Amino acid sequence: MIHLLSAAVHQITPEGIIDRYPNSYNHFVLPFVIGITFILIYLLIGLIRILYHLSGEDRIKLLKSLFNPKTAWKNIKDIFCDCLLHTKIWKRKPLLGYMHSAIAFGWFLLIVVGHIEVWLFAPRHLSGLTEGSLYYPIFYRFFIWINPAHETLRGSLFFFIMDFLLLYVLSGIGLAMFKRVRSIALGMRHTTKPSLADRVALYCLWLIFPLRLLAEGFTADLSGGGFLTRPLNWVFRAFFGNELNFLPTWWAYSIVLGLFFAAMPFSRYMHILTEPLLILFRNAGLKVRHPRKGFAEAEIYACSSCGLCLDACPMNVQKKNLKYSSVYFMRFLRRHNNKKTREIADKCLMCGKCYALCPVGVNSPAIRRAIRETRNNKIDCDYSYLDSYAEKCSENPKSTGKILYFAGCMSHLTPRIIKSVETILKASGQDYEFMDRNEGICCGRPLMLAGRTDAARKTIEANSKIIKDSGCTTLLLSCPICLKVFKEEYALKGIQVIHYTQFVDKLIKEGKLKVSKSSSAIVYHDPCELGRGCGIYEEPRNVLKAVAELKKASKERDESICCGYSLGTLTLDEKDKAKIAESSVTSLMAENPEQIVTACPLCYRAIRSKAEVPVKDFAEIVCENLENNDKN
Amino acid sequence: MIDFGFGVSPSSRINLDKADKEKFNELAIAEPDVAKCMACGSCSASCTAAAFEDTSLRRAILSLQNGLCDDASKLLSHCMLCGKCTMVCPRGINTRHLILSIQKIYSL
Amino acid sequence: MKNNILVIGGGPAGLEASAVLSRMGYNVILAEKEKRLGGHLAKWDRLFPDQTPAKEVLDGLLDGIKDVKCFTETDVNSINLLDRSFNAMLSNGITILADAVLLASGFDMFKAEKKEEYGYGIYEGVMTNADMEQAFREGKTFSPAPKAIGFVHCVGSRDEKAGNPACSKVCCATAVKQAIEAKELYPDANVYCFYMDLRMFGRHYEDLYLRAQKSGIRFIRGRVSEVSETAEGRLLIKAEDTLSSRPVKVTLDRLVLMAGMRPSEAGHKVGRQLNLSVEEDGFFSARDGFLSLQKSKLPGLFYAGACTGPKTLPDTLHEARSAAMEIDRYIKENFRK
Repeated sequence: MIHLLSAAVHQITPEGIIDRYPNSYNHFVLPFVIGITFILIYLLIGLIRILYHLSGEDRIKLLKSLFNPKTAWKNIKDIFCDCLLHTKIWKRKPLLGYMHSAIAFGWFLLIVVGHIEVWLFAPRHLSGLTEGSLYYPIFYRFFIWINPAHETLRGSLFFFIMDFLLLYVLSGIGLAMFKRVRSIALGMRHTTKPSLADRVALYCLWLIFPLRLLAEGFTADLSGGGFLTRPLNWVFRAFFGNELNFLPTWWAYSIVLGLFFAAMPFSRYMHILTEPLLILFRNAGLKVRHPRKGFAEAEIYACSSCGLCLDACPMNVQKKNLKYSSVYFMRFLRRHNNKKTREIADKCLMCGKCYALCPVGVNSPAIRRAIRETRNNKIDCDYSYLDSYAEKCSENPKSTGKILYFAGCMSHLTPRIIKSVETILKASGQDYEFMDRNEGICCGRPLMLAGRTDAARKTIEANSKIIKDSGCTTLLLSCPICLKVFKEEYALKGIQVIHYTQFVDKLIKEGKLKVSKSSSAIVYHDPCELGRGCGIYEEPRNVLKAVAELKKASKERDESICCGYSLGTLTLDEKDKAKIAESSVTSLMAENPEQIVTACPLCYRAIRSKAEVPVKDFAEIVCENLENNDKN
Repeated sequence: MIDFGFGVSPSSRINLDKADKEKFNELAIAEPDVAKCMACGSCSASCTAAAFEDTSLRRAILSLQNGLCDDASKLLSHCMLCGKCTMVCPRGINTRHLILSIQKIYSL
Repeated sequence: MKNNILVIGGGPAGLEASAVLSRMGYNVILAEKEKRLGGHLAKWDRLFPDQTPAKEVLDGLLDGIKDVKCFTETDVNSINLLDRSFNAMLSNGITILADAVLLASGFDMFKAEKKEEYGYGIYEGVMTNADMEQAFREGKTFSPAPKAIGFVHCVGSRDEKAGNPACSKVCCATAVKQAIEAKELYPDANVYCFYMDLRMFGRHYEDLYLRAQKSGIRFIRGRVSEVSETAEGRLLIKAEDTLSSRPVKVTLDRLVLMAGMRPSEAGHKVGRQLNLSVEEDGFFSARDGFLSLQKSKLPGLFYAGACTGPKTLPDTLHEARSAAMEIDRYIKENFRK
């Protein structure tokens, strides 16, 4: 074989620059070609399947978004940042971010630069569409040999770039191997248990680039090479002599590539190819409608099984609950394991932390809700009384232009919150009505969370009617659970829906409410539905900084730990909830504050039951620090 | 006993011999908390829906134990799952899941 | 030679045990963290079931401890077991080498503000059983006279959420007693007792219940779930009358919360130093539940009273006496051979 090949070297090209092996085929490319053909066909079928399962409306939405310049630009930006650079991981865990971007972006650049190199240097008939186009750029160093004497500056630049990129990827792979041994060094306490296909693909992935280095190193004396491959070639020749049998390494390289592609659809690495699709869907504004098909399928395959959700999930304060994490949920969904997916869907607190921290942005809480919907939405209910109550309320005198305060069901179990909100309203001279002082209709969020969407619609309709008929211009809420559904599902045109943290912040800024600063050290607990749910992080902090010394929790804002008593869970038991509450309190006590403040009746009760220091509601601490103490 | 068929009205006495134990056992597996109720009435007292309609988880559990399944379904049909009962239950019963389980198992 | 016995806690159990032990000829040292001896009894007005003045009982107990060395406002700073005696350092600087220790640390009242929905500390009209006794003791009357008073049984008892699934044993009788007394003080007021189960298990307790019924006190079988304020500043109570299966609401001027018994924090502090084991309810665990009720797992350390779970006053006094007997036997067997 060697003799045959070396014979080819001596054929001088017409240009006189490139010495070329005339044939653009060798048997070793077969594993790769088979692998890539399989994955391409699989992808095409998968894509058609997903698009087929989208509703007609969603398909049109998607099509429109592709041609809308704004979303198109966002698509490109997101795909670049999320899929290649992994900016989301960078921000939280730089070393882990480097690892991911080194592998993804490095590989991507290798492919792109490789193609450019082929396009610049290889004759069209070899690299064109007709033959060899599939594998030619991949095994370029095998097929195109450059006589060192004929190497141009441009050529050596490419040698340098390609070797540099290979080093870049290899550094990522090295970190990945290290991560398997010591995950905590990269900022992960728990890592995912890989499945069999994951293992095959993983080891292939680990081998691809070292083998590429090896193969190119063996060939470097003939093909030319950069700072990495050429010295390697010298080393090989020092050991094995001048006549190098380089074909086995190319075979090995091709085999691991082919095997990687063959294992891909059954492994986590499917996310590399699915994530761009998910980004397109998400930017088009599509939502999960079915727990397994269409959009959900894109999410399922886009899950990279990276396991960042393992550390994120508040349930995982107990190791026994690791199995309920999003990563395993997505895996069971992929395998159509209905029993497991149902169990996990019902267990979840729906705190949304896994979604917030997911580098791919897989909205697994939405899929969980969709699963609950398939099982619970058909439950019969008799809500006729809601309409008659709403009807009765509309006879109330109109409170035009006023603030309407809706405390919500849970706040009635925390009278302190209601009393404090009313004190603030009175102290700032607001004209208000108390919508549910005596009785009221639930906001609908608990029904939504339980998957009873149709039933929730009925409570939403009834409440909407009462609110619209009241003639108010502002709807003030003290419960973040209510806030979330009022913002997302209610269509209250012309009425401002506002949480009391935002409201107090506004009052202070407008000078309508004067507070004084105490020297007490406090910490703020971000309620899930308020923070991750509605994106309200700053307003409560603005106010709390004005009334006390605000300390930091070890996990806060979008990393805040759920108090454990969320209405999102259906089956989590009391003991587990208590454990979660404890871990939440531990995080809050990181800087030894004297008081804990939160802004949700459920969090308030949960944290109070576990904290050693006083726990206050947001409105309560504002009341305590009102200037001139005008407490009615 | 021979039923002569000319009784004036059906007995109002609950017949525990005829209570459906199979479904109740199914419920007890789905949500074992059903056995924990001590009938304090906290759930019905705080219930958001009970302000409007006859709604009571406490009575629904009793009805099921007595085999009066239709009564139980009726007592929960107005529930809005707001979760107040979960918060006030002194026995820490997972009331929302219990309600959903009853509604699923005893739906007609 | 007189053996030293350290009694930790100057409530009824500590006082009675000290009295018996000092009569037996031991050198008894009693440490009480509060200013006054008598524990919760000193803060009580009258006792169920026959409304005996608490002062009478307390005076009787204090009569017996004339020869006991009492240190009030004194904590046990540290305590450890040396060979076979205990070495205790008290907060007043005194070090005691005791051959036996009686732990009579009793109970703390459940902190009623933990039951947020009852509004203790939020609404002026909401008070605890201890507040009510204090008002009785000081002869304080509410003005204007309350038109309606409610008593909530089982506040922080039989409540997993409050961290105490067990019954506190004395609240039912206390509630009925206080309801009768409130009715006597405000004859025009409507008085309600909200109970889950009426546990009138002791001698004469049922008579107390009957008396309450006859005096017009209304018993509602249902746990209060919510308290809110009306526009006039009165209290609106929501509960279920489980016997008529209807949710009820009632407007009250005073709401008395029957706070239950929790293990004493000060007792735990001592327990932690000696590595004493507590059960899931937080109270100390006796060596066994029948034959060695007063013994701990540590030789020479004994228990009396509510530190091993909620008890009525007579039960506590019985325990104090039997603990004294056990200590006597222990000293004789181990120190006087």
